[in-house]
Amino acid sequence: MKQKLKSIFLVSHEYSEEGQTHENQQDPNPQEDDRLTLQHIIDQFDHAADFVHKTYHNERLHVLYFSHLVNEDRLERDLLPPLLNSDTPLEPLTQQSQYEHVTDTKKCVESILDGMALFFYEDKAYLIDVIFPISRTVAESETESIIIGPHEAFTEQAYTNLSLIRKRVQSSHLKVIKLSVGEVSKSDVYVLYIQDIANENYVKEVIKRIEDIEIDAIHDANMLIQCIDDDPYSIFAQFLTTERPDTIASKLVSGRIVGIMDGSPTAFSAPVNFFEFFSSSDDYYQRWSIGTASLFLRFAALLITVTLTALYVSVTSFHYEMIPENLILTLTESRSKVPFPPIFEALLMETTIELLREAGARLPTKIGQTIGIVGGIVIGQAAVQAGLTSNILIIAVASSAIASFVIPNYVMSASFRLFRFALIVMAGLWGNMGLALGLAYIVIHLSGLTSVGASYLSPIAPFEPYDWKDVFMRLPFSALAKRPTQVKARNKVKLKMKR
Amino acid sequence: MLKKCTCLLLLLCILPIFGCGDQRILEDLGFIQTTSYDMLPNGELSFSVSIPQADPETSAKREVLIATAKSSKEARMIMSRQTGMLLVSGQLRNVLFGISLAENGLHGHLDTLFRDPSISSQVKISVVEGSAGELLIDDYKQHPRTGRYIDMLLEKEALGQTIPKVTLFNFARDFFDQGVDPVAPIIKKHGNNYITTNGIALFRDDRYVTKIEPQDALVFAFLKSKFREGQISIDLTEINGKKENVMFSSLISTRKVKVTRGVQGVEKVTYHVKVTGSVLEYIGDARLNNARERRELEQRISQYISKKGDAMIALMKKHQVDNLGIGTYVRNRVGYEQWKKMNWRQELQKIPVECLFDVHIKDYGKFR
Repeated sequence: MKQKLKSIFLVSHEYSEEGQTHENQQDPNPQEDDRLTLQHIIDQFDHAADFVHKTYHNERLHVLYFSHLVNEDRLERDLLPPLLNSDTPLEPLTQQSQYEHVTDTKKCVESILDGMALFFYEDKAYLIDVIFPISRTVAESETESIIIGPHEAFTEQAYTNLSLIRKRVQSSHLKVIKLSVGEVSKSDVYVLYIQDIANENYVKEVIKRIEDIEIDAIHDANMLIQCIDDDPYSIFAQFLTTERPDTIASKLVSGRIVGIMDGSPTAFSAPVNFFEFFSSSDDYYQRWSIGTASLFLRFAALLITVTLTALYVSVTSFHYEMIPENLILTLTESRSKVPFPPIFEALLMETTIELLREAGARLPTKIGQTIGIVGGIVIGQAAVQAGLTSNILIIAVASSAIASFVIPNYVMSASFRLFRFALIVMAGLWGNMGLALGLAYIVIHLSGLTSVGASYLSPIAPFEPYDWKDVFMRLPFSALAKRPTQVKARNKVKLKMKR
Repeated sequence: MLKKCTCLLLLLCILPIFGCGDQRILEDLGFIQTTSYDMLPNGELSFSVSIPQADPETSAKREVLIATAKSSKEARMIMSRQTGMLLVSGQLRNVLFGISLAENGLHGHLDTLFRDPSISSQVKISVVEGSAGELLIDDYKQHPRTGRYIDMLLEKEALGQTIPKVTLFNFARDFFDQGVDPVAPIIKKHGNNYITTNGIALFRDDRYVTKIEPQDALVFAFLKSKFREGQISIDLTEINGKKENVMFSSLISTRKVKVTRGVQGVEKVTYHVKVTGSVLEYIGDARLNNARERRELEQRISQYISKKGDAMIALMKKHQVDNLGIGTYVRNRVGYEQWKKMNWRQELQKIPVECLFDVHIKDYGKFR
């Protein structure tokens, strides 16, 4: 394995030879590879309505391709006419560099599937690159929108994404390794890192894990990272996913390893620590004091979203002593009409909010807004008037729902929203004791997690106070001279600016 | 193996918590906000509690329960038969003792307050001139719920130093500490209209002995500890014969206690108090913008307060109480061995205590 990896680093590009052994084993009749015939290829695409097979020159020239994968205009206008012109001899034409002579059936089939056109002329096959993939253009990120800074987001096309990254990291040290995942889907996965910064052990680990995946198909990077997680049973993501090229570029420069997958607009980076999920690229584009303030706000939001409803439940069902005198009367008054114990009341409202969120996410934007209004005003008001909930609970539930959306990473905020339910049940059963137990469980669980082998709670455990100024605060750039210790970068200093 | 250990650990964690099944759901509770203790002429105790009502279906703002019993917990049981709510004392804010009970000693009744873990040590303690139950049962139309009215009154008055803020913690500390006796604010009901604070109750151990009149309360505050904020009205007529009145406010007072040792134990205790404030109202002949006359006025005020202070100490000596905590200073000075040998209550009467006030007028208003 070590030997193999070494060769990868040397070649670095086009890493596909590895997969071949696999594919050969899969092929049902390996003998048929011996001779390349037209019939053979046509047989392979049996029952494929979108497959185009055209014949010219009394069936001496055959053209084979998938119409929607190639640029048909270019094919018909530029490439076919000289071939069809019977005056010109074909031989010199096929010597041109755009024609690639092939003898291997397997390669022919794969290339056609990739979007090349195959010319079959008198038992000789030539491939022509007229790939014209269908993809959307680079658009603004919708899930991770920011106010100041670049608005580009990744698309489903890996090459587009690579170009977006290359544009931001213009260095020959940026290495890209191509891997293939999925027995059927054969999706391309690219592992990116910066040589001399990233720790080679982590690079090897990520590559090894991706290679070890044995699955029929992987459709998205979010699915891929779940196959290579350290702890698949945890509710916390162990890879940071983003669709912002600028975030990915900063992860690369800080010494992390990045993966992108063809067909997925999401890139992932590792090793990640828990607190990275709470930082947004916005923090770095605004002035440092504002960035720090919004970081604090987000950690406060985390606390609110996790504990507020649970605290309401535990206080109203166990710890009446904790409530200030002025509040207790309003609280009792609004609770006095409610027929349920606080735990059912809270679970009911939390579930309603989750229903609203889920419905809003599934519906088109225009209807989604209506859902928000219906849910927020109608249900909120009516539930209180009908005596199903107290209005203080509505405030608690709504503010913890809002706080959950303050967390910039959707995956992480979803994890905490789920965990909130567990805490509410704990608080309803055992009061503050249960709440404390639940929070202690989170802390214990988090400290046991790893991301590609690196500690998940990194600047806290192991204790690295230097990193705190980039994790819990966002100090001026002159103070952030070193790369995070978690990535064990080979080159630790990133800033040589003298101030 | 590891799995088994984890399961066992989880079980160990969960098992003790199953004991905490005593849910107290908010709307089913009657939180006692204020309680009062009175001694009836026949020696029985009369208790009353005030519970704020939050249920919108009743028009009353609070519920008052009254019981006659031998102990407060017994009274609780009698009271709970009268109400549909579970009586809890975790929201208790004020405890009122009728003066008749205070004279007989509070300790037995305070014991339940100290001992009950759900009762906060920040509960305020006060003595009621007259019957505490009557004061609590009455509704004062122009004021919020009686319990809250008392609480706000005590809170606000303590800010201006006219009464000391005495919580259960303060009272218990002074009660158990050696060389200091507890105090408590006195409140009084005036008809059906209002309640006022009415001086400071001085205790000997747990028995009410005497009181300090409300107009002298600030002098007690000067001697008791340092403070900021507060105002005092001073009538200097008796000192120089002419009509002269000063309203001295925005006070900042600092204090030093000096214990001088003589041949046989303590020779003398001196209070050095520095008071700074501004004159808000002045009726008299002195021109305050004249530095010399102002200094003379300062002198007169110092003299006046010193006299009040001496009188207060004389009062305490007479009743053999030490609510200022002079004993603690003496104890710290002479060492615990010698302190133990002393009978402080008698010793206090022999030791001269001197009050030296140094008043400074910081500011004297817009008219110069």
